[in-house]
Amino acid sequence: MGLVLFGISLLMFYLTRGFLPPSFALAPYITPRMNDAAKLALAQSLGVATNSCPSFQAFSALQQACLVPVWAQYTSWLANVLKGNWGLTLLPGISGTQTTVSVFFSRFPFTAQLAVMGAALTIVIGIPLGIVSATHNNKLPDHISRIVSLGGYSIPQFWFGYVLLIIFVLYARIGGLGLLPGSGPLATTCVICFTNPGSVAPVTGAPIIDGIISGNLHYAWDSFAAMILPAITLSITSIGALTRIVRSSMLEVLRQDYMLLARSKGLHERVVIYRHALRNALLPAVTVAGLLTAFLFGGVVVIEIVFDLPGVGYTSLQAVNVFDINFIELYVLVTALIIVVTNLAVDIIYAKLDPRIRY
Amino acid sequence: MTEIEPTVEVNRSADVRFALHLFRKNPLVLAGLVLSVGSIAVALLSPFLVSPTSWQITHPLLKNCWNNPLFGWGNANIATCPSPYALGTDSYGRNLLQMIVLAIPVDLQIALEVVLSAVAIGIVFGATASYAGGIVDEAILRITDIFLAVPGILLAIVFMVVFGRTIPVLTGAVLLIWWPTYVRLVRSQVLSEKERPYVESLRSIGAGRVRILFRHVVPNSIYPLLVQATLDIGSVILTVSALTFIGLSPSPLLPELGNLASLGSQYFFTAPWLIIFPGLTILLISLGFNLLGDGLRDILDPRLRR
Repeated sequence: MGLVLFGISLLMFYLTRGFLPPSFALAPYITPRMNDAAKLALAQSLGVATNSCPSFQAFSALQQACLVPVWAQYTSWLANVLKGNWGLTLLPGISGTQTTVSVFFSRFPFTAQLAVMGAALTIVIGIPLGIVSATHNNKLPDHISRIVSLGGYSIPQFWFGYVLLIIFVLYARIGGLGLLPGSGPLATTCVICFTNPGSVAPVTGAPIIDGIISGNLHYAWDSFAAMILPAITLSITSIGALTRIVRSSMLEVLRQDYMLLARSKGLHERVVIYRHALRNALLPAVTVAGLLTAFLFGGVVVIEIVFDLPGVGYTSLQAVNVFDINFIELYVLVTALIIVVTNLAVDIIYAKLDPRIRY
Repeated sequence: MTEIEPTVEVNRSADVRFALHLFRKNPLVLAGLVLSVGSIAVALLSPFLVSPTSWQITHPLLKNCWNNPLFGWGNANIATCPSPYALGTDSYGRNLLQMIVLAIPVDLQIALEVVLSAVAIGIVFGATASYAGGIVDEAILRITDIFLAVPGILLAIVFMVVFGRTIPVLTGAVLLIWWPTYVRLVRSQVLSEKERPYVESLRSIGAGRVRILFRHVVPNSIYPLLVQATLDIGSVILTVSALTFIGLSPSPLLPELGNLASLGSQYFFTAPWLIIFPGLTILLISLGFNLLGDGLRDILDPRLRR
């Protein structure tokens, strides 16, 4: 686990430091009123310029005397990263006024909220669909769930988002209002929304939770309504994947001899399916939880752009345009940490679900 | 040896007949075959159907036209949009249908390059890992772990920020996401295959390790790889189009399905065709390869042959 995180940090470090000029590594740490001598001292303290570097001009011109080999920069980079020193943000509008870390963690809860809703939808729809598909093999429910899962696999998420917007906002209109809210983090103009939810102070950064904490349930509902279409769009592919996995492992389990035994004992069909079959069939599904998490946290980039949501996915694209590499690096490392922790949790849950496994 | 020959022949023709039977029995696989072969055909014919340079020519007056009389979408400006266009025109005034025809080969080529390179990398590293075992195996596995623990699209974004926005970089960025899956797939296949008795007999007649591995074991474990590659062509196209959609397109004019959709996304309330048709094309191609891959899996799965 630690090894994976170390490897990812090495990969990100090498990609960004090894192939871009050192000025990119320096940019987030420069404050407006710095003169060249201060910039040079900064570059030296960050480990991107050698101590024998004569001037900042020489550093900018990539003179040989100033260049530090990439491998020698890693420890100083890692020290900064671990201290949380990611420099100032380069994002347009707020450039240089806030630290990258504060920008990231003020927007991250929003993305986490979207990813959690996507994960919840995936589980709530994917698992039952997989079960029904396997227990009604080659009958209508099976065909429906196979179409859903294949469609989910094949549909471009961004396109699905726009199609949902066109259907629910443009065409399904009641009294001149769209049925569901369009883009944006807070819905105020749609059939099911409250028109004047007011505002709440951001405590956690996730609007639904903030609304509940401050007692403004209208705000919480409107934030929730704005998340409905993004969450459906985000989860469509993972629903397809999970349905497929649950279906195939359930089919495999249903063929086993102990299923015959359970039935011949005279157990009720429901008990056979949910107590005996499902528990074994869920094992392969649990192992892909890490992959699904990776998928959801990657997918939010596209979803946040389609639905104009102020999370880290949307911000990372702004960061791309201004070469704010530290922001993207931070995003990758935080997401990787979440995925690694998920995989660890999967290992523990796996041992719980399957008593045959001992670590 | 001569006594075994006839049975092999019989089995092979029975296999072919069985595969044809499965194809006939399953209309969805047939649909997949039609869609995937059809998209490849359009891609190959594309330079003959549409002038390959027409995407560089913009017509500001023909912006966002919709004159298709079969299907009313409202707001066509009759004064500036004289002739009907089957799928309308985009925000640069180019014929959308022509742009889609030009875009299909671009996407398919990237997808094929990515999948074929991933298969090649998978065979080399996966077979090496499983056959060498020990520390080599462990090292290769841990490296794939690292790549699998980063959301693919983020990795691709970083790669494209660092190396610039060109089509080869885009291909490389997507390959960076895909190769670990193939290494692991080949590794597990070869691991199960190399315990088979025929490998033992090959070793006993003195065949070299490399020869056994690449001439016998790898070809025998190629079927799951083929299925995965077919399925992944669809997924790669989805990833490529998602990357260009979010703005990592090499050029804003480039006819690439994700980029065409991205151009249309600004007008999706007033000119919905701009996003609907490029997206629908992606869906159909990806669906085609997924259906075909599913069908191939069923056909090649020996458990179904009873």
